[in-house]
Amino acid sequence: MAALIKATNITKVYHKTSVPVHAINNLSVEIAEGEFTAIVGPSGCGKTTLLNILGGLDQPTSGTVMIDGVDISRMKDSDLIDFRLHNIGFVFQAYNLIPVLTALENIEFIMLLQKRSRKERVARAKELLEQMNIADKADHRPGELSGGQQQRVAVARALASNPRFILADEPTANLDSVSTENLLDLMARINREQKATFIFSTHDQRVMDKARRLIRLVDGAIVSDDVRS
Amino acid sequence: MLAILAWRNVWRHKGRSAVVIGAMVVGIWSLTFGAAFMNSFLLSYIETSIRHDVSNGQIHHPEFTKDFDIKFTIAEPERIVRFLEENESVAHVARRSIVNGMIASSRQATGVKIVGVEPAEESRVTLLDSLISEGSYFEGVTGHPVLLGRRLSEKLKVGLKSKIVLTFQDVEGNITAGSFRVAGILDASSTTIDEGSAFVLREDLNRLLGIRDAVHEIAYTTFPGTEDDVLASQVQAAFPNEMVRSWHDLSPLLVFMEQWMGAILQMLIVIIMLALAFGIVNTMLMAVLERVREVGVMIALGTRRGRVFLMIVIETLFLSTAGGPVGLLAGYLTISWLGKRGIDLSDYSEGLKSIGYESVLHPQLFPSDYVTIVIGVLITAILASLYPAWKAIRMQPVDAIRGV
Ligand SMILES: Nc1ncnc2c1ncn2[C@@H]1O[C@H](COP(=O)(O)OP(=O)(O)OP(=O)(O)O)[C@@H](O)[C@H]1O
Ligand SMILES: [Mg+2]
Repeated sequence: MAALIKATNITKVYHKTSVPVHAINNLSVEIAEGEFTAIVGPSGCGKTTLLNILGGLDQPTSGTVMIDGVDISRMKDSDLIDFRLHNIGFVFQAYNLIPVLTALENIEFIMLLQKRSRKERVARAKELLEQMNIADKADHRPGELSGGQQQRVAVARALASNPRFILADEPTANLDSVSTENLLDLMARINREQKATFIFSTHDQRVMDKARRLIRLVDGAIVSDDVRS
Repeated sequence: MLAILAWRNVWRHKGRSAVVIGAMVVGIWSLTFGAAFMNSFLLSYIETSIRHDVSNGQIHHPEFTKDFDIKFTIAEPERIVRFLEENESVAHVARRSIVNGMIASSRQATGVKIVGVEPAEESRVTLLDSLISEGSYFEGVTGHPVLLGRRLSEKLKVGLKSKIVLTFQDVEGNITAGSFRVAGILDASSTTIDEGSAFVLREDLNRLLGIRDAVHEIAYTTFPGTEDDVLASQVQAAFPNEMVRSWHDLSPLLVFMEQWMGAILQMLIVIIMLALAFGIVNTMLMAVLERVREVGVMIALGTRRGRVFLMIVIETLFLSTAGGPVGLLAGYLTISWLGKRGIDLSDYSEGLKSIGYESVLHPQLFPSDYVTIVIGVLITAILASLYPAWKAIRMQPVDAIRGV
């Protein structure tokens, strides 16, 4: 089976300082559909940089990233925006919901960009809030929600666009242990039941324990890649 | 949803937005009121000039208008008067004889325009009788009555019932003179009337000129709403040998003033909106810069830059126009109230009168002026939104999310 994501020899060099920083160093990786994969490693090892490149938020200095056979590493900005909208879901460490929209509207927003009908949007958003156990918070704005609740809305938002995979950069870094556990269980269930592909980075041992594949980075290169049953 | 998003974003900083909206209310109010107030000066001048001086239209022998040679009289005045009186746009008609000459009292002499009028006609057309401040309208004296402006009477050092002599050339070119008695003194805002004219009975003047029943000038007034230019060309077509002119042709100054009204409004819009635009740009820049991360996330999730741009433009439009209705309404109410009540400038009116203004002004604005203001505000808002919107779309989502 062809890989969902196929990154080949990617390198990312930052030239902001006098000494160039090799954030990603000739890295190749393949991700298949339905994976539940954690990217781990010490601070500064390149986790965020890698996820940004896989998600088309950033472009590699060299190397290619193919998603479903489409090369996104040389796509022009406006095409990349549309590509992200239809293929990739994002969850950020700081939740990053739109503060003036309610939970329901935040989820609707992305489907609106996809030009889906209002009826479809509302139905899907409600269904997702249900799945994330926060249906009762539909009409609350992010400021009125706890961190754990906001992050569950963020996951619902990422799922709403029916993406090919979801990238989550340290989604639990701002959460307490109960919320962390809770969020990971929900993500794992959706992965199991809906075959949604998740790739997330973390520092948290308990989060790593939930992952079914663990990719360890050091200095922008993969040092270990374990698949567990 | 872009509009909902923009509208809610406006209210994220209630105080800050309220300041901008308040400034727009005050700005639009002062714009409306300022333009109306300045319009009222010009309108008052134009109306006064038409009412008391040029009338809505005048008819002359084409040669007469060149140097007031008295032999160029109107060919068939009675037919013209009848034609005008039958026209339903025409309110009143007055016939005049005119000659330039000298006026002399026992103390002084000066040049003057001598106008022979039909008192009843003249009181309807130029309201000449309403200007009488002393004495009466061609009555109360034995002999031939004359009306003088106050300034002229002071110059000649004459009062009511004083004798004055008018000297001029008759139709044969002989110098002729007639003695008259001051029947009334006129208080007019127009300097021509105040110091340059002497009004006598047409029959008296015509006899001295030796032109029997001839007429030099026919002036007419029209009902409000009449297209004076159209009417003038109709009359002209009916009497091709005479020269028919509406007030537009008679007084280029009035036309100029009419155009100025529009220009004043536009100038005020530019000045006031320019000042407000800085406030709007500043507020929107702050709004965009404190939302760097949010805008970055929107782009990361797949929002096209064009939509982000539009969102900021809409937000700016909301911010700038939210106060518009209130400002316009406040302006409208102020204007209608003052328009009815009038602004009494009689404390300053000596100065104003001397340059031709009434002392009570009635501010007014035309419906089209409100449209101009609305367009001005919209253009300002759109221009003010461009820079902040451009700033917003230049964001790179990676940088924004990393919090650079
Ligand atoms: N915009 C940038 N300009 C210059 N250097 C950068 C930039 N972004 C990242 N880096 C550098 O690239 C390297 C990898 O950074 P990255 O953020 O990917 O690490 P990370 O594994 O996500 O770390 P953390 O666990 O702390 O989030 C670091 O050395 C970092 O300093
Ligand atoms: Mg990171």
